Amino acid sequence: MTFIIMHRRTSHTLAGLAICLTALTGCGKTPPAYFRPNMVEATKQRLTPDQEQQVSTILLAMFGTPDEPVCLPETGLDEAKLRLAAGPVRSDIVGRKNGLYREHCAHCHGVTGDALGPTAAFLNPYPRDYRPGVFKFKSTERADKPTHADLVRVLHKGIPGTSMPSFALLPAAQVEALAEYVKYLSIRGETELALMRAYFELDDDAQGKLPETREFLIDETLAVVADKWKAAADAEIQVPPMPADIDLVASIAKGKELFYGGKANCVKCHGVTGLGDGQANDYDDWNKAIVEIGKELSSGATAAREASTSGMSPEELAEHRGQLAWLEKFGKVLDGDALEPRTIPPRNLRHGIYRGGRRPIDLYYRIHAGINGAPMPAAKGTVPPEDIWHIVNYVRSLPYELDGELGADKPMLAKDRF
Amino acid sequence: MTAGFNWTFPLACLLVGATAVLLCFGALVTTYDAAMAVPDWPATYGHNMFLFPFAEWFYGPWDLFLEHGHRLLGATVGLITLALAAVVWMREPSATVRGLVVAAVLLVMVQGALGGARVLLDDKTVAKVHACTGPLFFAVAVAVAALTGRRGVAGSERPAAFDRSALRVTVALLVAAYVQLVAGAQLRHLDAAAVSPGTFRWLVALHLAGAAAVAALSWAAVPLCWSQQPATRRWALVIAGLVVCQLALGAGAWFVSWGVPSGLLPASWIPTEPLAARSGRGAAIVTGHVVLGMLILGGSVALATAAGLFARPQERGLA
Repeated sequence: MTFIIMHRRTSHTLAGLAICLTALTGCGKTPPAYFRPNMVEATKQRLTPDQEQQVSTILLAMFGTPDEPVCLPETGLDEAKLRLAAGPVRSDIVGRKNGLYREHCAHCHGVTGDALGPTAAFLNPYPRDYRPGVFKFKSTERADKPTHADLVRVLHKGIPGTSMPSFALLPAAQVEALAEYVKYLSIRGETELALMRAYFELDDDAQGKLPETREFLIDETLAVVADKWKAAADAEIQVPPMPADIDLVASIAKGKELFYGGKANCVKCHGVTGLGDGQANDYDDWNKAIVEIGKELSSGATAAREASTSGMSPEELAEHRGQLAWLEKFGKVLDGDALEPRTIPPRNLRHGIYRGGRRPIDLYYRIHAGINGAPMPAAKGTVPPEDIWHIVNYVRSLPYELDGELGADKPMLAKDRF
Repeated sequence: MTAGFNWTFPLACLLVGATAVLLCFGALVTTYDAAMAVPDWPATYGHNMFLFPFAEWFYGPWDLFLEHGHRLLGATVGLITLALAAVVWMREPSATVRGLVVAAVLLVMVQGALGGARVLLDDKTVAKVHACTGPLFFAVAVAVAALTGRRGVAGSERPAAFDRSALRVTVALLVAAYVQLVAGAQLRHLDAAAVSPGTFRWLVALHLAGAAAVAALSWAAVPLCWSQQPATRRWALVIAGLVVCQLALGAGAWFVSWGVPSGLLPASWIPTEPLAARSGRGAAIVTGHVVLGMLILGGSVALATAAGLFARPQERGLA
């Protein structure tokens, strides 16, 4: 019998390669999850390492860690729901699951809710950064927080046309817990921002340290943020019902007039065709903040490069060097803690994809209050409620409008629509 | 054991089949994030693993069904591996087969320990290593089956000589298929706290480059293997077909995870309904992508074996 021996060099190479690849996947134990500090804001506010540390320590005491959240009564949050959503993913013998946020949300929104999850760069639009406390799709006025029901609705329905899925297949209790955890991350993020910005207002006696008193931390900082969330429950927009005897054809015609008119001026961004081809070079608030910082850095770097150091006093030289070091640090922070800014194109209204919901009342909310964080302005105060209903009816008719009717002055062929 | 009958090949085939089912369960455990559905190990909620009440497992929560089922299958595969090792030791004179079976025994033990460590430490890094060792074991099991069949070590359909370039391409395909599974494991076992968007971008780039490499190699293998033995030709065709399905499943896995990449398709193609998280269809597509990747690896091992991977150096390049 012929004995076939695998060629030793080949076998050793393959075995070595497999072992190396396998070993490469796991070098060292996974570090425990942590809340990533808001380094963009910390650097913008020129916080010292000691100040950054103080903010982290305060936040740890007020909010705990991703695995062990702390729920202070002033937040108004439900601790049981938070514990269901927080921590690593696990389930018990009857199938109750914990760690829901890490299972369903963190890969895009990040453990901190900073929209810096691993997959974030691939998504367009980017996932929501909860930390500024700004939410788009809600039933409250533009500047108000969303209601709990708004968050649950977004989770339940998802956001069409984006990567945000619907969690309708999850049990209602799990969706409730996730909505509560989103509020927790948002309150934590806004508190962090407030603390970082508070250094700017410190007087000389404070010696660069925030007062660690209950009055400052809870009453003046946390409660201010949390109260806005509590107030949202009663801040729902009172929508007058659409007249039952409305003539839909006339309403659509009136809505079209308003759409192209100067009062509502929807045409400015959504375009004469309604294809979203109007003004399309704007940013939402999250991206705009990064763009503005980028511009500031760029102009600062130019000024620092052009400055002549020859005639500077030692103090001026030290300040100049400090400025250069800050610019360099900020550049690195932006590389690691911010995604490439993207413009936000106005919605193409002929697709029938409405991110905030397709119900007439959803469109009413969007037109009445605008979209917080986005360039979409509020029509409230400019357009009366009954006219908003006309615009709603016209917008809802747009996906079905015939080609010849497209736009006020620019007919468009079907092939050019998309 | 029946005297005169060599049980090596049937047992090796049984091992390949059982491992394939085990890998399916493992992939489902990851898809449903069910690894921590049982907090202890090797016991299951304090019970001896094999004595855990059947009804509580079979009719219990889905996560428990997957995780405990994965453990039971793992134990079964371990026992089959030991039985195969015993048979090989008694009946198989080939040093290659013996070596592979020893490797299989070591790997199954390491894999079991890694599975336990993943649970006891609740560590995603260990989970990633566990996900890479599984396909490695599967590849070894397939190699044993491929070597002990009719076309194996002393099989009746074994060619007298092998084509060097076909062998090179098939070995490269085998390596690329495994690298793909390693890259895929990094994407599947994402630790949101530890992986930055930049790192994830690199991992996706690696996985896409790997997909291109596997596709190119599998399709290049078809003409190279066309003049070879029927088995080589068959395996090359099967893998080329599987790779086409795998590319489609990969695109599907992306879609059900993150939607249509912006700008890739006309806006009118974007679904009006949002994706449904935790849908059965989504889980089937993502899990199917992983399982098919493992089958491609197994097929590549069989193809490389048929193309002369385990042949003596002097037998290669003589065709």
